[in-house]
Amino acid sequence: MRVRSPALAAGCALVAVIVAMALLTFFWTPYDPADTTGGRLEPPGAGHLLGTDRLGRDLLTQLMLGARVAVVASLGAVAVGGPLGPAVGVLAGLAARWLDDALAVVLDILLAFPTLLLAMLVVAAKQTSLAAAITAIGLAVSAVVARLTRVLVKRVLAQDYITAARTSGTSWPRIVTGHVLPNIWPTLAVNLALQAGLAALAEASLSYLGLGAPPPNASWGRMLKEAEATVLTSPVAVLAPGALLAMLVIGANLIAQGIREQADPTLRRSR
Amino acid sequence: MKRQTALFIGLALVLTACGTSTPPAEPASVIDVGSLYEPQNLDNAGGGGQGVIEALAGNVYEGLFRLTDDGQVENLLAAGHKVSRDGLTHTFTLREGVRFHSGDPLTGADVKHSLERIIGDGSKSARKGDLSVIKGIDVPDPSTVVVTLSTRSVSFVYNLSQVWIVNDAVRDPATTEDGTGPYKVGTWRRGSSLTLDRFDGYWGERPDNDGAVFHYYTDASALNNALLTGVVDLVTSEQSPDALAQFEGDPRFRISEGTSTTKLLLAFNDREPPFDRALVRRAVSAAIDDRKLLRSIWGDHGILIGSMVPPSDPWYEDLCRLNAYDVALARKLLAEAGLPDGFTFTLDTPNYDPHPTIATFVKSELAKVGITVNIRIITADEWYTKVYQRHDFTATLQEHVNDRDIRWYGDPGFYWGYDNPEVAELIKRAETSATAETQASMMRTAARRIAEDAASDWLYLNPQIVVSSSRLSGYPVNGLNAQFPVYDIKER
Amino acid sequence: MIAYLRRRVLLLAVSFLVASCVLFLLLRLLPGDPANALLPMGATPEQVAEVRHELGTDLPPLEQFASWARKMATLDLGRSLISSLPVGSEIAARLPVTVPLTLLAFLLSVLVAVPVGFFTACRGRTWYGSLIGAASQFGLAVPVFWVGILLIDLFALRLRLLPAGGFPVDGWAHPGAALTALALPVLTVSLVMSASLIRYVHSAALDVLDSDYLRTARALGASFAGAVWRHGLRNAAAPVVSVLGIELATTFLGAVVVEGVFALPGLGSMLVRGFAQHDYPVIQGILALSTFTVLVIGFLTDLVQRLIDPRLRRTTTGTPA
Repeated sequence: MRVRSPALAAGCALVAVIVAMALLTFFWTPYDPADTTGGRLEPPGAGHLLGTDRLGRDLLTQLMLGARVAVVASLGAVAVGGPLGPAVGVLAGLAARWLDDALAVVLDILLAFPTLLLAMLVVAAKQTSLAAAITAIGLAVSAVVARLTRVLVKRVLAQDYITAARTSGTSWPRIVTGHVLPNIWPTLAVNLALQAGLAALAEASLSYLGLGAPPPNASWGRMLKEAEATVLTSPVAVLAPGALLAMLVIGANLIAQGIREQADPTLRRSR
Repeated sequence: MKRQTALFIGLALVLTACGTSTPPAEPASVIDVGSLYEPQNLDNAGGGGQGVIEALAGNVYEGLFRLTDDGQVENLLAAGHKVSRDGLTHTFTLREGVRFHSGDPLTGADVKHSLERIIGDGSKSARKGDLSVIKGIDVPDPSTVVVTLSTRSVSFVYNLSQVWIVNDAVRDPATTEDGTGPYKVGTWRRGSSLTLDRFDGYWGERPDNDGAVFHYYTDASALNNALLTGVVDLVTSEQSPDALAQFEGDPRFRISEGTSTTKLLLAFNDREPPFDRALVRRAVSAAIDDRKLLRSIWGDHGILIGSMVPPSDPWYEDLCRLNAYDVALARKLLAEAGLPDGFTFTLDTPNYDPHPTIATFVKSELAKVGITVNIRIITADEWYTKVYQRHDFTATLQEHVNDRDIRWYGDPGFYWGYDNPEVAELIKRAETSATAETQASMMRTAARRIAEDAASDWLYLNPQIVVSSSRLSGYPVNGLNAQFPVYDIKER
Repeated sequence: MIAYLRRRVLLLAVSFLVASCVLFLLLRLLPGDPANALLPMGATPEQVAEVRHELGTDLPPLEQFASWARKMATLDLGRSLISSLPVGSEIAARLPVTVPLTLLAFLLSVLVAVPVGFFTACRGRTWYGSLIGAASQFGLAVPVFWVGILLIDLFALRLRLLPAGGFPVDGWAHPGAALTALALPVLTVSLVMSASLIRYVHSAALDVLDSDYLRTARALGASFAGAVWRHGLRNAAAPVVSVLGIELATTFLGAVVVEGVFALPGLGSMLVRGFAQHDYPVIQGILALSTFTVLVIGFLTDLVQRLIDPRLRRTTTGTPA
């Protein structure tokens, strides 16, 4: 970690702002989240910096609270996809050909299905909740990561030193923990960082469609849905949640780029 | 060349002929209507939903009677109607010269078929229960229909105004239309639009326009954008009040507000604790500031109601005072009920607008008297299965759009399970009473009883808002029972 | 190659069948009742039972499966439970919206992303190179519906240049009107799609530009452009084609949200409604079509990659990352 990448630093800074905002809401918000004493759809002003929603709640407060859901969705999806994706990928990479083929096809299908469809199925099975949304997003993340892992595992297994290890009688579990995982881990970490950002994006889309975190949780996606009707009269209510979301996702992307650069310093030369 | 000349002369002759008999031809005027309610199919007794009534009632299909926009029932396909002294035999004389769009003449057999469709097996009609008083239908001659009832039914004619007369030759009314109305269904691009073409063989007065296109949107914002950009001429029922600000004060648009029958309910499960006790229900009703809620959701539109009756019903009475907003009273009632520190309950909330917002508001209001609300978001499908059929809920939010649905407080088997023999008896006797006056007075008493019991919490009555281009006139303002007749709409 | 083709086609057929069966059972096992969408408030329990019987949803899942499988064998997708119209023709009626939307957005994105990606790879350190890089970062980081809302606000509501949504009543009878209606949706999708494509093309191009063989070719006297053309494109194309395939499939299925924002009567909005009403034949029909499309696209990209890059012919299945 001697080399400090500017991308990593910038990414960490952006994400830190959002995380700090989410943490701050546990101690302080401009108004009580349930405070409905503001006027209906007040424009931005001194009392309410970003105005109010139709219940008279402070939009800035809701915006800050929305950071919680976004961060939880990111972390949650990675918590599901982080172990599940590599596990399936390693299995496919090592498995007999028919199982590998089958898993590859399943992953292809899952990958092409947008998170939205998965979420619809999960919501139909369970009720609408943040957990259901995270499960759906986590499954989608798993599919992406599994697919990547499978290819990486195959690449490692084709190396001569694995053949050498096999012939000297090393067991499969030892090969996986001793050779495969250490080799593919940096690439997976990069990918998981990217996926964390995309998960926040996915949660916003689900909330926009009414399939995400239910109220009274504030979610940027639902704030966008509510603000859509008044975009002509108060565009800031549409712009603000989108901008914060972009900050979080760009932050995650920069972190991913940073990790890659740390692992492979030659990359920085050209980017 | 010769033929073309002949054709040209022929055409000119036709044009002159037209010119002499009718006033100069106006340019074709087709009204573009924007709506959120696309029909599910073309049959109002087969699950077509609210959308099929909106687009087809009065426009494509007609009943024996018509419900006018101010709530009067008048003859339509029935030219005459006689009732026996005991009120059990109704004799209808059909209007002469009425033809279906297919060209078939209207006969008593069509009327019999149309009624049997509603009360028979497999009927998906909401009127099935109301019309099950029908004991027999006879057609002594093609233009006369005699209906015998098992008991008196004072609302019978009103209910008939909601029954469409369909051609008995049509085998699948869900996909094929054959009505007697001034328009026939043209093309239906599912997910997008339904075109109504003027029917030249119409028996009655010619419509003021050449046709209408219903454009369907699933999203209120998209619908408003369509109006703002001139894609549609009017919006049948505005559901995004936040967007009204864009139209207010703009001379290009006109906003009309009528009364609807859509009541927003916080419905308790009256069978089970804690809401099996009127004290607790009244406490909750008193703790919620309905006026503030209405203002939050609808701005300056809509009204408060104190019971299940909208002002458009003959037995309306302002009962808001019975469960008015009073936090002190709420606390007192809770203490009387032995729950001074409040309690916790789960609120089943449909996932579409405005229910989640209302749930959020209710939660924050009830927190002030120590009641904790857990909001559970469910889909419309889940609502019907879990709440409506299985009665597996403590409290729920729901928009009740139906007309005269106070009668469900007389049915202990209905989802909210309100069981008060006095109210059930009143509602039953009201229907079998001899005159509309007796009916109204009994219904008024029933409405007062359920309000005193806080059988549900009636949060507010939706406004019925039509936003239209200021060029148009003649559209229905109230759109009672979701109908939206377009035949009087014209450009000024 | 023939053996490979036969194997892939067989695999494709088997996976399509398995996917359809799994989906069928999954849909029936999940809670949900199409009768709910057909019955009005006030329906009696008897009415509910009658409707279920009429729809056949009261039968045990295996029996429903048998009758569905018999129909599928004759390529009959059945009728919608709600509208009672044939699902096949309903889907066909929606394709003229979704397919042009997908293909136009895809084409526009490729036309923008490939040159821009190459250009930024060659000129990465200039200020406009960084600017494009930053812009594509932003495009990757915003939800597609947000872009849609803002474009509607700007181009339709404020500037009044393009329609805010909807599709002409007479469809493609007037191609100009239909294209105008699709303009903003296509722009929305391709803004987001090209952002991710630019990055893929960019890094694929970088890998090639850094490669030894390109350096060798230049050392042997080939011009920069000539070397890139002869060696670079071919080598960069393989990973890009793989991503293109995935992007195309995702756009086709991802039309759900965009069609919602722009009120387009396409497959996406049909699917959303089908899901809400538990209209099984509709869901099944659309998902069968999209699964098939996805599998075929995967198959084709695999094939194209092999033609481009002979080294890949050693691996078995699945598209390499």
